[in-house]
Amino acid sequence: MQDKISIIRNIGISAHIDSGKTTLTERILFYCKKIHAIHEVKDKDGKGATMDSMDLERERGITIASAATNVDWKDHSINIIDTPGHVDFTIEVERALRVLDGAILVLCAVGGVQSQSITVDRQLKRYKVPRIAFINKCDRTGANPYKVTKQLREKLGLNAVLLQIPIGLEDKLQGLVDLITLKAVYFDGENGENIRIEEIPSELRAEAEAKHKDLLDAVTMVSDELAEAYLEGNVTEELIHKAIQKATQSLQLVPVAIGSAYKNKGVQVLLDLVIKYLPDPTGVTNIALDLDNNETEIKLISEKDKPTVALAFKLEDGQYGQLSYIRIYQGSLKKGDELYNSRAKKKFKVGRLIRMHADKMEDIASARCGDIVAVFGIDCASGDTFTHPSLNYSMTTMHVPEPVISLAIAPKDLKSSDNMGKALNRFTKEDPTFKTYTDEESGERIISGMGELHLDVYIERMKREYDVIVETGMPQVAYREAITKEVAFDYTHKKQTGGAGQFARIAGKIEPDQEELFTFVNNIKGGVIPTEYIPACEKGFHDCLKKGRLIGFPIVGVKVTLDDGDFHSVDSSSMAFQIAATSAFWQIYSKANPQILEPIMKVVVEGPSEFQGNVFGSINQRRGIIISTTEDDIVCRVEAEVPLSEMFGYSTDLRSMTQGKYEFTMEFLKYSKVPESIAEKIKKEIEEKKKKK
Amino acid sequence: MIKAEQNKRNPLRILEKSKKGEIGKGNIGVIAARKGVGKTACLVHIATDELFDNKHVIHVSFSADTNHIISWYEDIFEEIAKKFNIKSVMDIHDEIVKNRIIMNFNQDGVKITQISSSIKSLIKDGNFSADTIVIDGFDFNKCTIDDIKTIHSLAEELGLEIWISASLKDENLVFDKNGVPLLLIEFVNEIATLIYMRPENDYIRLQLIKDQDIYPVSDLHLKLDPRSLLIVEAS
Repeated sequence: MQDKISIIRNIGISAHIDSGKTTLTERILFYCKKIHAIHEVKDKDGKGATMDSMDLERERGITIASAATNVDWKDHSINIIDTPGHVDFTIEVERALRVLDGAILVLCAVGGVQSQSITVDRQLKRYKVPRIAFINKCDRTGANPYKVTKQLREKLGLNAVLLQIPIGLEDKLQGLVDLITLKAVYFDGENGENIRIEEIPSELRAEAEAKHKDLLDAVTMVSDELAEAYLEGNVTEELIHKAIQKATQSLQLVPVAIGSAYKNKGVQVLLDLVIKYLPDPTGVTNIALDLDNNETEIKLISEKDKPTVALAFKLEDGQYGQLSYIRIYQGSLKKGDELYNSRAKKKFKVGRLIRMHADKMEDIASARCGDIVAVFGIDCASGDTFTHPSLNYSMTTMHVPEPVISLAIAPKDLKSSDNMGKALNRFTKEDPTFKTYTDEESGERIISGMGELHLDVYIERMKREYDVIVETGMPQVAYREAITKEVAFDYTHKKQTGGAGQFARIAGKIEPDQEELFTFVNNIKGGVIPTEYIPACEKGFHDCLKKGRLIGFPIVGVKVTLDDGDFHSVDSSSMAFQIAATSAFWQIYSKANPQILEPIMKVVVEGPSEFQGNVFGSINQRRGIIISTTEDDIVCRVEAEVPLSEMFGYSTDLRSMTQGKYEFTMEFLKYSKVPESIAEKIKKEIEEKKKKK
Repeated sequence: MIKAEQNKRNPLRILEKSKKGEIGKGNIGVIAARKGVGKTACLVHIATDELFDNKHVIHVSFSADTNHIISWYEDIFEEIAKKFNIKSVMDIHDEIVKNRIIMNFNQDGVKITQISSSIKSLIKDGNFSADTIVIDGFDFNKCTIDDIKTIHSLAEELGLEIWISASLKDENLVFDKNGVPLLLIEFVNEIATLIYMRPENDYIRLQLIKDQDIYPVSDLHLKLDPRSLLIVEAS
């Protein structure tokens, strides 16, 4: 079955926490006969969904949350790629998005488009991923799929088109009406496995016909072929499907399916839509950069006889060593093939080649473009590109944000100490936004990442997966220093006491640069500084940026212009010019009026309107700026910009001030100047910390 | 400098010809026009003018997408920057937008009393000392006199100015003897200042219909550039 590329679908299931992603995945595995019984996710109020699915996975010994799970549905092979839910794991989400060709956007029929749905949809838009929306939980009190479809249009700006309407709602949900076939679909049997097609109940007939017309109106707007057929009265089901497929794949339309995974309604119909509307791997253009040719963009071709290009998008520690999940974009892959890792510049041989199923791994002899498989025992990092040894390609480099928060950790006992290195090594390979290093001054082991939760999860994973218990320090915000004034320099480095002398003179200016971290402009004319010493000058200045002298954090946004200097034919050297640059920089640094910058987070807080006063107050207390509020009859959503340093412990505070009814998401937005009074406080704190050490 | 330049060309200059020179604290001003004439841009100008003056503004809207409103402000800023050739205007923009909060409501689902209490909560709990509220996209067709009274008391209680835009449909383009559009006749006693905007050839005409408790007899109007809504010429 794996021979034809047109039967492959690589899809992700993206969702807001608690919209039922785990339950939906579970049902898909069940209906695709990958698991033989349905187990429910326990009520998880107050707990993180990521952890819950991990727990579930552990308890059941299946890999629901593994990076990619392969299922078969009606002669198609679907790879379901896991996309983590929380924005703190954005890099992981974005990496997963790159390898999928389509997505199911799961929404809750009660909660509708929530803050995280917006984030997830933004990511899908960025990677131009065609999607089907699934409005889940139609069995819940307050469910309103029509309202959610309207929100998809208004809040996400999607051309969302309802393909089904419910037969009954809330606890009376019985099935759905397919608006294309105009038939009622019921899901019988203990687990909804038997599909029964009937005529539409008479009381729903008029509504179904009206919605059928709405659907045709919407689809004809994006399909000339269907519009023509419509005018001529020749509309067929096949034509409608074709038009929806084309419009979905060209991102002009988002088909909306409804149901309740928990009540076993609508999942099989959703799977039908996945294979009908979402593209096979040939329907998506993928680009690699030719590293031998000035990073020229190369369009990859989904043909199995072309030289292989694949991307490692996720690593996992398995029983038999490191398991690397790869997506093959071009060519094919066999056990024993030689591949080239373009980042590590190393060749390696493919040992075991695996296809992941929900309950087992299957050893396979070969795989081809479009497919997602796993390889064992390859030393690589997540995001590495593997190619045929004749190529030197890299899949488009992704922007990896710098960590904004760090934490000192120390192992509690000897056993933990042994395993901690192993755990950190693996996590940093898996996640480029998670970094670790030893602080030179304090000797402490520091972990850094994209948010408090991001680090919390790794500490928890160390405990669960490696039995490592660590003590943690206070979270430290990644401040930056930036100069705010232009200052000229003219510095001579001269040393003539014994041995070979040193001489270098440099002159120019430093000034703030809003755009770049560091820019060096060489304006030296007439050889007053020989060309061979210029790189040493640049290095001298650049090295200073690692650690500012205000609070010891990196300096950003500096433009150095070198326009004059002098040298000595015997005593000048690269070393002398490097020292001159470093000394010149520190001599004028304080005159350039350096200031502290702090990371500002975009915070979205969401919950019932009744507590909004508390939320406004909490943002105000945290030096936050409310940007906007959005309110309907049920939900209030507040968007604000808040300094990261003020956000520690916010989840606990928010829970207690809103009786647990509010939730928030947070992502890095920008660096901004710290107000003077706070800057003084930060300086004092850092001084005291240094003294303690 | 920017403030002075901007102020000279701001559509609100029409009020210089009015009795008080402003709508005054505790009062409501309404800008009425057909769809597409530039009510939102006019309100954003009013808000921007206040922001330039270091005042705090709440922008109330009824559209689901706040990005759309934010881009209105960016556009008006860019227009001002272009018009007066001010390069640093976006730096100032970043500084002063801190004094603006956008509040978005679903008018179908949210009652005026709830909007009023949300605004009060933002001002009190969020410690946001608003000077002016602009309300855009408000549907006068769906509101009652009590709703307008609620808005008026909000202005009085908090001591701030409230500007509202009123969208006139073709069938509303009937005016009473004072020039008040039919749609607003029921509410006119609650409105201190009423301005009517209409497109004319290559400019927008801004006309003062009601000024505090009087209806100006003389034709007080300004001509605005239809793109930037800045004053083309006073007459």
